[in-house]
Amino acid sequence: MNKFDVISTRAHRIDTPDKATGQAMFTDDLCRPGQLYGVLLQSPHPHARILSIDTSKAVNLPGVKSVITHEQAGYIKYGVSPARYDETVFAIDKVRYVGDEIAAVAAVSLDIALKALSLIKVKYELLPAVFTVEDATKKGAPQLHENSPGNLCAEVHQEFGDVAAALKTCDIIKTSTMKNKRQDGAFIEMQGCLAEFDNRGLLTLVSSTQVPHYVQRTVAMVLGMDVGKVRVKKPYVGAGFGIKAAACPMELACCILARETKKPVKMNFTREQVFMYSRARHQFTHTITTGAKKDGTLMAIKHECCLDGGAYTSFGIATVYYTGSLLGGPYKIANMSYDGKRVYNNKPACGAQRGHGAVIARALFEQQMDMIAEEIGMDPMELRIKNMMDTGDTTCNDLNMSSFGMSECIEAVRIGSNWDKKKGNMPRGKGIGMACGFFVSGAGYPIYRSDTYHGTVIIKLTEDGGTALVYTASAEIGQGSDTAFAMIAAEALGIPLDNVRLASGDTDMGVDLGAYSSRQTLMTGHAVKQAADHAKTQVLEVLAEQLLVPLEKLDIKKGFIEFAGDTPDFSALRTRYIKEHRGWIDNPDSKKLTFKEASRIAFLEKGSIVGTGKYKPHNLGGKFKGAAVGTSPAYGCSAQVAEVTVDMETGQVTIDNITDAHDCGKAINLTAVEGQMEGSVSMGIGEAMHEEVIFNDKGQVLNNDLAEYKIVTSVDMPRVKTIVVESCEPNGPYGAKEVGEGAIMPTIPAILNAVYNATGVRINELPLTPERVFFAIQDYKAKMAK
Amino acid sequence: MLLPTFEFHEPLSIKDALKLKKSLGEDAKLLAGGTDLLVHLKKKLITTNNLISLSGIKALSLITKEKNAVIIGSCTTMTQLSSTPIIQKNFPALKAGCDNLGTHLIRNRATIGGNACNASPAGDTLPALLIYDALALLETSDKKREIPMADFFTGPGKSCIQPDEILTGFRLPIPGKNSGAHYIQLGKRKSSEINLVNVAAFLKYDPDTKKIIDARIALGSVAATPIRSPKAESTLMGQTPEEACFFAAGEMARREDCHPIDDFRGSARYRQAMVGVLTKRTLTRAYELARSACI
Ligand SMILES: Cc1cc2nc3c(=O)[nH]c(=O)nc-3n(C[C@H](O)[C@H](O)[C@H](O)COP(=O)(O)OP(=O)(O)OC[C@H]3O[C@@H](n4cnc5c(N)ncnc54)[C@H](O)[C@@H]3O)c2cc1C
Repeated sequence: MNKFDVISTRAHRIDTPDKATGQAMFTDDLCRPGQLYGVLLQSPHPHARILSIDTSKAVNLPGVKSVITHEQAGYIKYGVSPARYDETVFAIDKVRYVGDEIAAVAAVSLDIALKALSLIKVKYELLPAVFTVEDATKKGAPQLHENSPGNLCAEVHQEFGDVAAALKTCDIIKTSTMKNKRQDGAFIEMQGCLAEFDNRGLLTLVSSTQVPHYVQRTVAMVLGMDVGKVRVKKPYVGAGFGIKAAACPMELACCILARETKKPVKMNFTREQVFMYSRARHQFTHTITTGAKKDGTLMAIKHECCLDGGAYTSFGIATVYYTGSLLGGPYKIANMSYDGKRVYNNKPACGAQRGHGAVIARALFEQQMDMIAEEIGMDPMELRIKNMMDTGDTTCNDLNMSSFGMSECIEAVRIGSNWDKKKGNMPRGKGIGMACGFFVSGAGYPIYRSDTYHGTVIIKLTEDGGTALVYTASAEIGQGSDTAFAMIAAEALGIPLDNVRLASGDTDMGVDLGAYSSRQTLMTGHAVKQAADHAKTQVLEVLAEQLLVPLEKLDIKKGFIEFAGDTPDFSALRTRYIKEHRGWIDNPDSKKLTFKEASRIAFLEKGSIVGTGKYKPHNLGGKFKGAAVGTSPAYGCSAQVAEVTVDMETGQVTIDNITDAHDCGKAINLTAVEGQMEGSVSMGIGEAMHEEVIFNDKGQVLNNDLAEYKIVTSVDMPRVKTIVVESCEPNGPYGAKEVGEGAIMPTIPAILNAVYNATGVRINELPLTPERVFFAIQDYKAKMAK
Repeated sequence: MLLPTFEFHEPLSIKDALKLKKSLGEDAKLLAGGTDLLVHLKKKLITTNNLISLSGIKALSLITKEKNAVIIGSCTTMTQLSSTPIIQKNFPALKAGCDNLGTHLIRNRATIGGNACNASPAGDTLPALLIYDALALLETSDKKREIPMADFFTGPGKSCIQPDEILTGFRLPIPGKNSGAHYIQLGKRKSSEINLVNVAAFLKYDPDTKKIIDARIALGSVAATPIRSPKAESTLMGQTPEEACFFAAGEMARREDCHPIDDFRGSARYRQAMVGVLTKRTLTRAYELARSACI
């Protein structure tokens, strides 16, 4: 095993001082001279034809600088996946959900802008609306989109192997269904943006986004500009969880207002608008049939799923594919079929959220694993290990597990939770359960079809020789990617972390697809390492020449030059360096030649030393339709054990402990890995226990704030024991792969299995509110009494 | 969402506040901690041109002991109440209510007067005020009156306070020996909840006969206002305090004394079922406290 100097430690995050002192700048902290305030007019109706829009009164209100509708914004359709562009910046002929954007105003103050909004008169012809999958797919249901009959947004049918034949050979067949509820990302920072044109026509959009690159392309396309004339930057971002992984209509409206007014324009979502815009996890309804032999060998999965999509596609086409493809592992299953569909209705669109598409399928399937284990009298961990894929295996749908510490994770949580002692020995009302899961480490392909690199990085050594500047367009959104990349750069260059400065989140710095699909550590990390190696080689080449030492004998470690074998006489180089620093009192006198001296000498010989790096995945498997969704250069995996106490009289569930083991390949920063694991657990608990966006019968969100939309509080959060497993991923930089999303996969089923263990009741609908659990227990008791 | 604009008044005495209230008329709203009022203003549920802040009036945030009672100023905050020894010692059910309300930040601002005047059926301190037989102290510029909390609430968000009146505080008789009280609330998560059901109970027993001689139960979130549970209370009188009678009282409260409705937070059916469980549990705990107090 290599010994590392920087990575694999608990280095402090490089943004900690800024964040701890409150100096970190988020989009809403930024102000520009002469800045205007923009606001959106959004539909109060879930479904209506727009007959007319009269903006005249608003335009004439003193202080109003611009009022825009589709007339200014145009007719260009955009969305997430080019094949599925179904949105325009502003509604043209009709609105499809409460919140659909109709117009925007820019004014000298927020007050005036809001006043102007109330002066815009829109005439609507109300249309019947549908809010559920059932209603939207009924015969004669109101149709949302002209070219999507039956409100069918997308459908997928896949079969690998022969499911029907395999099921015939099974001794045990389990069929069950499960439903979750629409989620909200509930990130702390609501979306905000600030757009400005300079005098040469360059548009700079500062935005709270996960994906500057995709926003840049969408803005350019919708505004009809060259991509090179659009610069997107993100300052510090207060998380996104997938919801900020695409251009949003406010960003586009903001740019158009800036164009119309020739002034900087700032816009923000209120918390209510965050809920209205939505784009978080779908409501899924799954039915899964799993077949196994009586020795526990898994034979087949038959999977059906329906996604409650909302008014537009957003990420939906990718979601519906992910939902199917990510059941292919982590167990050996030769036969798997999937029939998925996504249905439009008059609610806000759903999109991607941590564990994209796969969380609820996993939640149901891992319960079936427990049902099978119970029926054949096998320990649930043993059943899982028995069926577990091995490193190097490929699933029936072509996902290759190039590294795979899944069994190690199970072993770790078995010991970490004291499973063997607890399982089967808990009093009634207390339960223990476990589950596994895995997730991609970066989508194999960009969202638009392209051979583009997924990430490029530039590292420049400062001309004085002391510092490495890392430039990446990747997105630090709170997860710690800046720190991880600074650490990788320091490790690869052989210098202390203190000597690395990093700038990120700016499309001027290169291409980076951004923070989604748990891609950055592996993909951007690769590019960082390559750029650092490139810069380092250039320095060492100069040294080799100057000192007449073969290049292979040179290395840099901890900021010093290392020579394999004898150290040559480098005094001439040192003298040359010191001569330049006459009068300085801190000139180098170390026994070893410093990196600073070496890189200064390299500059003197060659000019600025710039290293470049790039990454795109190797050719990934899968020739079938939809194979691009789910393939990834690597997969992270995890196992969790949940322990719960159920109040049998009230139905209240308390989660006492979570033991979580995750294989992240190699922990670049251990503390950050644990942070992601705990964050995933907390989000999983929220979804399992209380989170649910609730609508009234007019399509309005009833709980559009964080008082009524119930994320986990610190009091609800159990103790989480995190165990990091390192399998050394061959496709990852230093062996690293994902942790950001995979860690949420086992949380919900582990809790459900524990609740079953405590109560004897399987609950097939989330969230596990006290009420739902209470009535499930009552029904079960009534059934048992019969 | 922005706060609408308004005139802000900050009187330093109750007298000045009452004068202002009289001269500005019904439109003027009293501002205590603002944790309800500012939310309502922002959401445009109410409008006003004048806010009269009560924060500058020191007399309103005092907790004082009289001979057999404690006077709690209307502007005392949850944090203040919860950390005051006379409250901790004599009114544990009130302290529990204060500790359950909102979050740390909210508890630092939220006042007990505001909680009462907001008159939410789910208000966290209100069942305790009911079981401790609190009196609301109301004042206009020319008269004072005291109203039992049982008569204070007139509907969801409504109380008997008149437009020119200010609630200056509450008088809570100090419970005698051999008594105990407790409060339990139930929500979806463990903190920052809007209660699904909340129940407070007070018990007093005769140490010689070991029989219950006083019982008061208050139910929250299961009617238009926080309510007493008279039928359940009467089942307890003269009984030996033990599980069977607490269970029976819970059943009575569930069947006869509550009238919950369905809303998006929970169903009437569940709320009703929980009235039984929580009543039994609060009584059990109240009795334990009564007993341990006299040991
Ligand atoms: C995030 C959040 C969480 C919350 N959680 C809870 C909870 O768990 N449980 C709970 O019960 N409540 C909760 N609340 C509601 C609120 O905090 C409480 O009702 C609080 O006690 C109100 O007190 P206040 O001082 O802030 O009242 P204010 O908002 O200042 O006033 C409330 C009303 O009372 C009137 N008023 C205030 N003082 C007087 C007076 N002396 N005389 C006459 N009228 C007066 C005001 O005019 C106004 O109509 C929560 C609120 C928020 C924002």
